[in-house]
Amino acid sequence: MNWKTVLLLVSVNRKANRAIRGAKFRRYRDNKLFTYGLYALACLIGILAGGLIGNFYSASNQTVQTAVLQGTTYFLVSIPTIVLLYGLVFTQISQTQRIGAKVSVQPIYWFPISWREHTLASIIANLLGAPLLITIFISSALLVACVFMGLIALAVLTIVALLASLILASATTEIFKTLDVRLSGAITKAAGKSAIWLRLIFSVGSMLVFYLIYFSIYNQISPALLFESVAGGQRAVWFIPYVWPGMALSAFASSLWMETIFFSLATLAFAGAVFLIATHINTRFGLYELPAIKLSSGVYTPKTSLFGKLGFSPTETALMKKDFKGLTRRHELTFIFIFPISMLAMVFLSVLRMAQGDLPPVGISYFLFAIITLFPGIWIAPFVGGMLTGLEGSSVWYLFSSPISAKSIAKSKFFFVAFFSLSVTLICSIIGGIVFRPSVLFVAVTLLEAVFLIFSLSAISVALGIKAADFRGFFPFSRVIKPKWGLLNFLLCAVIGLAIVAPIIPYVLSVFAVSFLPAMPLLPEYYVYAGLFLSGIIAVAVTHVFRGVAVSNAEQVIAEAESI
Amino acid sequence: MHNSVKSIGSASLAVKLTAVSKRYSDVTAIDNLNLEVGKGEIIGLLGPNGSGKSTLIKMILGLVKPDSGTISVLDIPLKQNAIGVKKRVGYVPEDSTAYEFLTGLEFLDFAGDVFQMGLDEKKKRIEEFLKALSLEGREGDMISSYSEGMKKKILIISALMHKPELLLLDEPLNTLDPKSARIVKDLLHQLALQNVTTIISTHVLEIAQAVCNRIAIMYEGKLLALGTMDELRQQAKMPNSALEDIFLKLTGTEDIQPIVEALSK
Repeated sequence: MNWKTVLLLVSVNRKANRAIRGAKFRRYRDNKLFTYGLYALACLIGILAGGLIGNFYSASNQTVQTAVLQGTTYFLVSIPTIVLLYGLVFTQISQTQRIGAKVSVQPIYWFPISWREHTLASIIANLLGAPLLITIFISSALLVACVFMGLIALAVLTIVALLASLILASATTEIFKTLDVRLSGAITKAAGKSAIWLRLIFSVGSMLVFYLIYFSIYNQISPALLFESVAGGQRAVWFIPYVWPGMALSAFASSLWMETIFFSLATLAFAGAVFLIATHINTRFGLYELPAIKLSSGVYTPKTSLFGKLGFSPTETALMKKDFKGLTRRHELTFIFIFPISMLAMVFLSVLRMAQGDLPPVGISYFLFAIITLFPGIWIAPFVGGMLTGLEGSSVWYLFSSPISAKSIAKSKFFFVAFFSLSVTLICSIIGGIVFRPSVLFVAVTLLEAVFLIFSLSAISVALGIKAADFRGFFPFSRVIKPKWGLLNFLLCAVIGLAIVAPIIPYVLSVFAVSFLPAMPLLPEYYVYAGLFLSGIIAVAVTHVFRGVAVSNAEQVIAEAESI
Repeated sequence: MHNSVKSIGSASLAVKLTAVSKRYSDVTAIDNLNLEVGKGEIIGLLGPNGSGKSTLIKMILGLVKPDSGTISVLDIPLKQNAIGVKKRVGYVPEDSTAYEFLTGLEFLDFAGDVFQMGLDEKKKRIEEFLKALSLEGREGDMISSYSEGMKKKILIISALMHKPELLLLDEPLNTLDPKSARIVKDLLHQLALQNVTTIISTHVLEIAQAVCNRIAIMYEGKLLALGTMDELRQQAKMPNSALEDIFLKLTGTEDIQPIVEALSK
């Protein structure tokens, strides 16, 4: 193992983050203060936090001190397993980001670099950033706090266990990363033209499972009990090697020296084994190439699409069809479908918890129906609208070099966002309607407001998305829309969204008030029609103005094609 | 080699650049350039990296605006009707970047719709080109899985399928297999007979010599020489020389022997 090579590869991996951050590529200069200063800052904040906890402990009475000592012991014993969990999450996110930004560091197999060096560098580099920052913060805080509590030996051992857990997490991610490519490749090959849908459904499904588990845990376990549960739980699953660092600490805290030595050595052996497995898998599959995804074969039959039948020009239809295919086929965009699903999951789990199977009171039911109907659509409109133009990426040259007018670009982007958001809204409202059974009037009012909001917010976000498009790639969001404009997009959408719903709010509040306090007078029904009329007027005005802005911005973007 | 030079009257001009200049901060990309290309001509743009070939092609398409001078394409002043020009032009960029999430067929279908082709014509042209460039059987695969050569073929088809009157090709043949490259070269000759004009940028001198009626040699944004092979030989005062020697002499890079010797030590 050539350690100099490993360090150089770690440095290359670290520099890959420039692309993820969306840094300027020309005349780029590494900001050393930013790169290393953050770790020092995390350490400093940790020391301060530890000092505060230590002082609180010293100033407390005997009873509080005993409780704090017990809590701290639970914390120390459970923290390696928690670090392992967040280490897995963060390293997976880091991999996803790199794949999204197309900066996964591929092994340079023609250089004199061994697979062991490549794997070790990748494992270390995965930990840079959030996992290491959080661990430095926790380590420095607990070390200082434990000085006051007289738990220095346990604290030092905990820090060693934290590092072991982080390495285990990163090595496991490395294994999964390579296997994932191999496995998804095999599925792609076997699935043929279904591969795209399989990939989308699997991604959405796995995120749904994640959210269901997350919300179940969130609803049932209070944070105070978490550490105690982990500390107790890991003893029950002692045979799982990933909890061995915590087991070693637990044994040390209970003065079981033989167990401490056994689990410490077992942890070392397991970390070594995971590293060797990661190296072996990288050697075997590290240069694997994904097989082609075949979507169609046989006779080509061009046809006029649904948009064409609705009166859109062939160019506008082509642009909308392309954008729809992009959203469903680009792996990194799956999260757009996650939000409405997680929103539904969150609402239904909360209802189940609150009402234990029965429907909640009418006021709450109506409120939840409104949330399910309005929120997914009005979240998707600014989000997709803001990034749809930037998502053209480097292929934007085709728009510039083709006879596509600014009006066609603005129109196709606007209607695509509006139709997509409306479809999501419709699906969510049907599900919400079946579950919460609101009145027909309430459904109609909510859907109309959703339509007003979606059209106006789509116009705003498409206009700003065209103005601030960043065609350098996808991840993170700053790479498809310039960050300041992205923020402005959401602020403007929030303000104008509130202005659109404002006329209807008095009536809605009176409906909710009556459901809780039947003695309260309900506002006359004409309020709702007047409110809807006003909302509609505002929405039409906003949509009209921002569609004009979108066309003007598109003209400007086309005129500035040379700077792209 | 096609040596026949058309007599260029103003009515038969496909492209006319008059005193065109373009600067990028401290770099002069195009320096007071005048160029006239007749309809049905195939002009080859040669020049070292950074000599302004790609910028010139992008200017003719309207992607890059000149700081000064005027450009007229297919009798249309570019400033007045850029969309009208683009409708009649086919362009292949140097980088083969197409929408990777589409299949080759879907991309061509998209291109056909953007250029507002009829359904039957689109189907006929796509099938003809896929067969001619040996892409049959792979047209349903996503572009992300294509080799560079296959991506280039898709871009060439998308540039040709709507029957453009002017073709702007930036390094079009560099990743093609020999058979496909030959088909494209022969096709350019056939199109020239149908009055289709081609401006082709390349580093491969053999391609320029084999395909083009006239060759333009660019250096540091300037047009050093323009003409048929015989005219270039006369300008360089190198009778019977190959294009490579003429190119090296005109661009002032002919003295390469000391460099080779230094590198081989």
